[in-house]
Amino acid sequence: MSALGGAKPAGGSTGIAPIPAIISLVIFVIIFALMYRLGTPLAMTALIGIVIGGLLIGFGVHFVPVGGAPAAMGQAPGIATGVAMLAAGGGLAGLFGGAWAASQGTLVAVVTGAIGGGLMLAITCFFVNFVYIYGMGIPAASGKVKKDPITGDTQPEYKSQGTEGHGLPFVSFVGGVIGGLLGGAGGTLIYLMLLDVYQATLPGVMKATAVQIAPVAVSLAGMFAIGIFLVIAVLAAYNITGTIEGPHDPKFKRFPRALIASAVASALCGVAAILLVMV
Amino acid sequence: MSVKIEVIEGGIPHQKILIAGLVLAVIGLYLSYLNVIVGTQIFAFFGGLAAIAALIWGSHTIKILASYGIGTGVPSAGMIAFGSGVIAFLFATKFGLYAPIVAIILAAVIGAILGYLANEVLAMHIPVMIKSLTEMAVVGALTLMGFSAMISGSFTFSALTTGSTKVLGMSLPSYQTSYIGGALIATVFLLGAIAIQHGFNACLGPGWKQDRMLMLTAECGFLSMMVAAVMSAALISPAAAILSFIIGLLGWYYTYMKYIELSKRDAAAWLDMKPIPEVEGH
Repeated sequence: MSALGGAKPAGGSTGIAPIPAIISLVIFVIIFALMYRLGTPLAMTALIGIVIGGLLIGFGVHFVPVGGAPAAMGQAPGIATGVAMLAAGGGLAGLFGGAWAASQGTLVAVVTGAIGGGLMLAITCFFVNFVYIYGMGIPAASGKVKKDPITGDTQPEYKSQGTEGHGLPFVSFVGGVIGGLLGGAGGTLIYLMLLDVYQATLPGVMKATAVQIAPVAVSLAGMFAIGIFLVIAVLAAYNITGTIEGPHDPKFKRFPRALIASAVASALCGVAAILLVMV
Repeated sequence: MSVKIEVIEGGIPHQKILIAGLVLAVIGLYLSYLNVIVGTQIFAFFGGLAAIAALIWGSHTIKILASYGIGTGVPSAGMIAFGSGVIAFLFATKFGLYAPIVAIILAAVIGAILGYLANEVLAMHIPVMIKSLTEMAVVGALTLMGFSAMISGSFTFSALTTGSTKVLGMSLPSYQTSYIGGALIATVFLLGAIAIQHGFNACLGPGWKQDRMLMLTAECGFLSMMVAAVMSAALISPAAAILSFIIGLLGWYYTYMKYIELSKRDAAAWLDMKPIPEVEGH
């Protein structure tokens, strides 16, 4: 038990441990083999779509500036809540937006979902800065970089002593919107893939017409999409261990291992969701 | 990262809570199955009691996991518990009578793999991670199954997706007036996810006491049970829904008073403030 780990260097370890990565790959291959053995080509396409959606969510979470409790006191940059809450807010807003456009085709729906998620996070980021600047009277300043990578504005002059920075610098704002776009697109893609599978198979399973089972198909696809979304969002949150400033944060470099975890987790949950109507 | 900041002193050991929660939840679920055997809906409330037993167990698991400082906030634990639980629960419903057993096994497999991913691939290295995520996925699945049995009277796929509506005196099958088709499951998902994490989220800190936290979780569980009873009026007979509601109300009242008592016991000082202070001179 590595109980006495002590303080880790900034950014923590970013590498991928080889043996767990290989074991994850084996689990991933077993899941796909199981799907190939039991499912139809439609199910296989759906599972691939779910994994792509999972990767988008897992990658997108790393962009969102999460401040946690220190941000609520203006002592760290970011939005003052946890990763799971923010990802759920942005991603599920996107998912609901995309679900409205489901009948217009995959591409339109996914783009709509991305815009929904991005818009949700843009509004959140805007009001976070509004409250910080006009409510608490503090400027936006990053604690992790000397210059904003996008605007080139210098940061240390505006940073209060004893804090990690505060508010949302421009790069964090952009990161939040990108995270919302990716999360919303991923969540919608998972929903659409499952909806296709259920609409094709449920009439046979439940011995009813496609119109009759539509509410069940929508509800099942929605619940599974929310479940998969939350699992991946929390795993990605575990990867960044709490707070991150955005794409310029050193912790952002940890994303490759979150992609491995997201791929395996989405395949695992997706195969259960598809086999519900296949076996 | 994995420095354990609090230890559990005294109180009931976790193993006992785990076994009690698991056994009571499974017994409660099968007692709710009496509905199908006897041909009534009056035993639906056993599902709610099963869910509360699972929630109390889950709350203690969150305490064990969160005492290692996972850094993502306590609510995230509730979200992953129900995110993985809902997948196991929905898949298990197709196995009819064996649904609770299948749900436990499948949730344990999903939870263990997620725990492995978190611990090894994401390099969390928390000793209890795999065990805790396994337990929480099972808790999530059992809680959802318990509330489902309470709202729709059964936990099988056909019962959860098929309801009936009366048109001109005839009873027709309707998929919209059902637990899943009507998306009542989405409400239950968050009712459970909030109830499982609130106990520890509200009671954590240096003054943490096991009995107080578990009592608060039971109170949240009964509160959720009351809401679920109101929703169940749409799907099961009014008598069964009212019985569930009364049991929820009595349980909530008892646990709430008990929780206030325990809070007074653990508080440094207690000022019994009236809701609206009386102004002098009236």
